[in-house]
Amino acid sequence: MQREALIELDRVSKRFGRRVALDSFSLSITRGSVVGLLGPNGAGKTTVLSVVAGLARATEGTVLWRGRPVASPFPSELRRSMGVVTQETALYDELTVRQNLRYAADLFGVRDRDGRVAELLQLFGLADRARDRVGALSGGLQRRLALARALLHDPDFLILDEPTLGVDVEARHALWGHVRWLRRTGKTVLISTNHLDEAEALCDRIVVLRNGSRLTEGPAAELLARTGRCIEIDCLDGAALPLRDRIAQLPGVTKIDATEVALTVHVANGSSTHAVTDTALLDEQVASVRVRAPDMVEVFQSLAEARDGGD
Amino acid sequence: MAATEGLRALGAAARAELEQFNRSRVLVGLVFVEAITFIVLVSLFGLTGSRAPTALIDLDGGPLARSFVQHLEAAHDSFSLRPMTAARAKKELANGSVVASITIPHDFDTAITHGRTVLLPVTLDNLNADMSEDIRGALPSAIVGFGQEHHWPGIRLAASQRDLIGHDTGYIPYLVVSALALTAFVVAGILGAVAITREFEARTLTQWRLAPVHPGWLVAGKLLAATLVAAVAVGAAVLLVTVGYGVEPVHPAAALGVLAVCVPMFACVGACAGALLRRTLPVAGLFFGLTLPFYIDSGAVEPLRFDGDKIWTLGHTSPVYQAIGLIEWAFHGLRVTPESVAQNFAALGAWALASVVVGTTVLRTRVARR
Repeated sequence: MQREALIELDRVSKRFGRRVALDSFSLSITRGSVVGLLGPNGAGKTTVLSVVAGLARATEGTVLWRGRPVASPFPSELRRSMGVVTQETALYDELTVRQNLRYAADLFGVRDRDGRVAELLQLFGLADRARDRVGALSGGLQRRLALARALLHDPDFLILDEPTLGVDVEARHALWGHVRWLRRTGKTVLISTNHLDEAEALCDRIVVLRNGSRLTEGPAAELLARTGRCIEIDCLDGAALPLRDRIAQLPGVTKIDATEVALTVHVANGSSTHAVTDTALLDEQVASVRVRAPDMVEVFQSLAEARDGGD
Repeated sequence: MAATEGLRALGAAARAELEQFNRSRVLVGLVFVEAITFIVLVSLFGLTGSRAPTALIDLDGGPLARSFVQHLEAAHDSFSLRPMTAARAKKELANGSVVASITIPHDFDTAITHGRTVLLPVTLDNLNADMSEDIRGALPSAIVGFGQEHHWPGIRLAASQRDLIGHDTGYIPYLVVSALALTAFVVAGILGAVAITREFEARTLTQWRLAPVHPGWLVAGKLLAATLVAAVAVGAAVLLVTVGYGVEPVHPAAALGVLAVCVPMFACVGACAGALLRRTLPVAGLFFGLTLPFYIDSGAVEPLRFDGDKIWTLGHTSPVYQAIGLIEWAFHGLRVTPESVAQNFAALGAWALASVVVGTTVLRTRVARR
């Protein structure tokens, strides 16, 4: 059964002066899903989130909430249904963790304010830091606090703009855990990220953006499968270029990035990597061979090339 | 329902702002210090300007000489006589401790009694024309008063004075009361401005747009907190003026009312400046920089209408002009502006309203732009 769309963008454009940040972009987010916006800096991810959160007014097009167009500024009922974590956490550095949460709870009229604040402090592992000034917290803890604040009023829909930006690996994984918990509790989440692994770990569906337009979309696994695999080959000095010429002849090889001492070979989805690895390993000038999944830039380039080639 | 939610948000914003002020104790402390030091500063200015120290060398010491000294003392408010020896006077003139020395010669009483003209040796350090003129003007006045008291023939002109106001107001009491308006302006202005610039600097404005209430409620809450803190600082200054300087307000309720109106109004002006400048440092510089021009050109030193039409007109560019008009009326019962009390209230209200409109418009633009 088709699930109800919670929020939709219908051919939304956003221009800042002469610059087009979003070009006739449409998006439908069903209830209970986690949708990721993926793309390089300047692709339009934050603009999409800003329009969805009501922080920016669409120049053209319509925003629909539960099938009904919403005016800007958003009505307060809609604001109460949303929790937003912006890139800048927008926390009050001079206030304590608890004071920040209490303030937000008061703004949203949260019942049993102190109980709810205590619950979220516990949930996000911030209870022992409740009296600390926010300015004294690490970036990861500040992001966690921003997420806790966005959840205070128990919104149906969460908007997270690069929630792990600038945090260390440990904090990043802790935040991932919280987003997964949101999914389990049935929240609808729209998340933007620069990291493919993050999108893969958290999202049911990924929308890839380029220059304010949709490049492609689909489940993470499908997008990764479309871009194939990468093989890193390290060579002795001067051996890389002759090897490149031999590997270029092999079936399934779509692209080779070469330097004097290393090759990055891209193999198409569905093609075996064995032909390339065998060829490399037979060469005495090769020091190491490693097969890996493509990174975000490679996926993006691959999808962009496929799209441009298709066009 | 919306109003209830708005009021709740207002209370939350005010509480959060007070908590932030509590954390910014250095800033708040400096604002309190500023409130007090400004009063002290202007009274020092009054002291130096109004009480020119003058050495008095009375070589006669007779009853007529003493009577003349009394007339010297009464001759001019800015005349501070210090009896001393000729040698001491010479030394103090040389090192700049006194502006002038007046010598009453040893045969003063005898010469006066015998109808001879007495020459009073006066030495004047005329490096400052303002003080020199005070002394030059005070001496003839004292001589005429002395002559009139002793019914000497030849003085055919006497003033028939009618005071417009039933009481005289000392210069320092006038200055310190004016300074209260300036203190309110600087303290409330800076705190109102900081309440807004803090949001820009901490990049927390986004939260305003995400809140389920109109941002105006949050601004009002922040300004309420700024007003409360400013009111305490201004209250300390009022205490200094009333207890420390012994200035009792003629209309105590009106004095409190004027300050109660001025503080939130100046907080609004500050909020507007904060929205325009967006940074605490320039906004604090602006307010401290405006203090002296506003103080000088607002009727704080003397009623501005005495300084000519151009300066009087220019004075209207500052809300402090109306505030001083109101506060001098409330404390001393003086009308120092041609405008009535009601007109000054209305003008201050217009300043606050204009500040709220401009500030809100700027904030709306700035928030939307982000």
